[in-house]
Amino acid sequence: MKKLFYILLPVIITTLRVEAQNPSWVVPDDQKGKICLVRFTSDMAKQGEVIYLKNCQSCHGLPTKKNFASIQPSPGDLSENKVGTQKDGELFYRITTGKAPMPEFRNILTEDERWSVISFLRSFHKGYVQPDPEKMAASIGKRIKLSMTYDTVKRRILVKAVELTSDGPVPAKGAEIVVFVKRYFGNMQLTDPKPTSENGYAGFEWPQDLPGDKSGNVIVGARVNDPTGNMQEAIVSDTLAIGVPTNKPALTDTRAMWSTRDKAPVWMILIYTLAVIVVWYFIIYILLSVVDMRKIKQV
Amino acid sequence: MDLIISDLSHHIRLNKGFFLWMGFLVLAFLACLFAYTRQLKYGLGVAGIRDYISWGLYISNFVFFVASSLIGMLISAVLGLIGMKWVQPITRIAETIAVAFAAVAGLVIVMDMGRPERLAYVFLYARFQSPILWDVTVITTYFVISLMLLMLPMIPDMAVLYKRYGSLPSWLKPVYKVLSLNWTDHPEQNRIIHRSIYILLILIIPAALSIHTVTSWLFALTVRPGWDSTIFGPYFVSGAFVAGSAAVIIAMFFFRKNYRLKDYLTDLHFNNMGKVLVLVAFVYLYFNINEYLVPGYKLKRADAIHLRELMSGHFAVMFWLVQVGGLLIPIVLMLFRKMRKPLPLTLISVVVLIAAWFKRYLIVVPTMAHPFLPIQHVPDNFKIYTPTLTEIAITLLSFILVLIIITLISKFFPVIPVVETAKEKGLDPLKSNES
Ligand code: HEC
Repeated sequence: MKKLFYILLPVIITTLRVEAQNPSWVVPDDQKGKICLVRFTSDMAKQGEVIYLKNCQSCHGLPTKKNFASIQPSPGDLSENKVGTQKDGELFYRITTGKAPMPEFRNILTEDERWSVISFLRSFHKGYVQPDPEKMAASIGKRIKLSMTYDTVKRRILVKAVELTSDGPVPAKGAEIVVFVKRYFGNMQLTDPKPTSENGYAGFEWPQDLPGDKSGNVIVGARVNDPTGNMQEAIVSDTLAIGVPTNKPALTDTRAMWSTRDKAPVWMILIYTLAVIVVWYFIIYILLSVVDMRKIKQV
Repeated sequence: MDLIISDLSHHIRLNKGFFLWMGFLVLAFLACLFAYTRQLKYGLGVAGIRDYISWGLYISNFVFFVASSLIGMLISAVLGLIGMKWVQPITRIAETIAVAFAAVAGLVIVMDMGRPERLAYVFLYARFQSPILWDVTVITTYFVISLMLLMLPMIPDMAVLYKRYGSLPSWLKPVYKVLSLNWTDHPEQNRIIHRSIYILLILIIPAALSIHTVTSWLFALTVRPGWDSTIFGPYFVSGAFVAGSAAVIIAMFFFRKNYRLKDYLTDLHFNNMGKVLVLVAFVYLYFNINEYLVPGYKLKRADAIHLRELMSGHFAVMFWLVQVGGLLIPIVLMLFRKMRKPLPLTLISVVVLIAAWFKRYLIVVPTMAHPFLPIQHVPDNFKIYTPTLTEIAITLLSFILVLIIITLISKFFPVIPVVETAKEKGLDPLKSNES
């Protein structure tokens, strides 16, 4: 009884403790109106489903199945009405920014991917009508397209930004460009952001000691830095041979304590095997000699 | 001689008491087995362990079982090899306990597995670097050596009983005949047996030390507060001797009473076992002081949280009951000769043994409850560990299994070595009839 009491004690204490209230998740007004600039299609929803299964299902479960993870705060089923009644911009903002424990997908999914997840979710929301992209496009800001070239002599990456207007592409002036390099975990910004010039160019120098892969290749990307959301996202990325060839063996390439069995330190394999052999040699020897005893008859 | 034989063997029969007791054990076993089938069907979720506190009752219990099994080595090997004659009637009891606990300790690990049918993977994909592999290896080895140390000295006994004990149940006769391996007390046979036992007694010392040291490394090879300690090996080993000695004393008391062995398990044996228990408890106390004072003096941040939880937080009541009630007070009491009489000593041992179990819980669970990264955004039952009924039943299952093994061994074989006792008295067990 006493034992049970002490086991139960901690539970009683926690149930008495009041859970801290979950702060609300407000979407700024200027983000609510954001919409997708293409029409949702079933193809897009299918792509969205693939992305959803990989990135969202672990917490949110399958839409309409209510099999979301039991964590606090509850992720909920995204096919529900309280999600369905939100504007596209709100959903987009929530997916982009996340809120612990939900990760922010800003750097994990591209804008297009985020939109296709939304188009997938929308297929569960009854009565949803997509705002007309063509009509809205005008009020939504600029659509920018980036391209990238590089010059190994000057060690310069040149990013060109063009704005797609109804009259065709024109150089985009004053768009802030960020250049980044892909590393193991996420992207590393190369230098401070720079605005594009009169004719839409921004140049970036890369450091001499930038580590690349075995042949010196580095994956470089550029995007428009646009905190106000007035420009449609644009990203380019390319594999450039601008790095110092680096051939670091992976941590699991050599024999080490943390490596796989086949790469265990030799001394460890030796000591283990030796100890086992010695002890079991004696055990088996004794077993055999004792069993042999049966043959000895009294004289 | 006949007297010794019948004294030490009269319990080897199927009587009502045995059936009642075994019936009770088997029923309880089945009830708890049902709990286990639930776990098999629904998974480890039926237990209270969750992502953060993933080692709960099962692992605490495992450590306790490994600990209790260590006593076989202390009594037979250490005390035996340095020539303590008085341990002779206790050795078999100690080995029986060792075999039972070691055998079930392995099963307890399986009970903690979500997919026990994948047990073979532990070996197929074993890594030499993993203390889990070392643990599995040493426990198997220790179990085999203990079993041999239980069975080898029994060979002459079985031969004698087979030949000279008329009331040996007839269905046990063939078993005895096979297991006695044609023993005729031939000098050559004696030589082989003695040499084998001698080698085993030496082998079992490193084997036993490693099983509990390796078990302690499962904890100490991490950097977590409460486990990250260099003295965990000896700390566990000394604690094991405390638990094991207490278990042996309790077993001695029951055998003495139920199998009427008063003339063989005398007050002297209890007195001496009491002294052994005091000694090992003192050693354990010493390690406890080290284990809590050293981090408590430095109070590194994570250690501070851990110690506060133990000494004045969630676990304080249990902690102080275990340390004061289960270690300090028993030590003081047992310093008095009166307290080392069979009954008081047994009562003290019961307290010590229960405390020893909770001590394992205090080693395993609180540390898991305080990971370095904060526990957040999880339901409450992830933060605080509460064993479920199913989990408690499955833990009981392992205890029942130990009791069943001990009962079977002690019921069908002499608890006290017959031949050795006879030889001690200058009798030749196989031939003469004087007594
Ligand atoms: C680590 C778990 C986790 C993952 C992965 C996750 N979410 Fe969430 N999500 C949550 C939680 C928890 C909430 C609720 C947060 C709150 O209410 O404070 C939430 C809320 C949301 C909401 C707002 C729901 C509402 O009621 O307003 C949307 C929309 C959403 N998630 C979409 C997604 C999408 C799309 C993905 C995959 C790209 C995703 N989530 C991945 C945990 C997750």
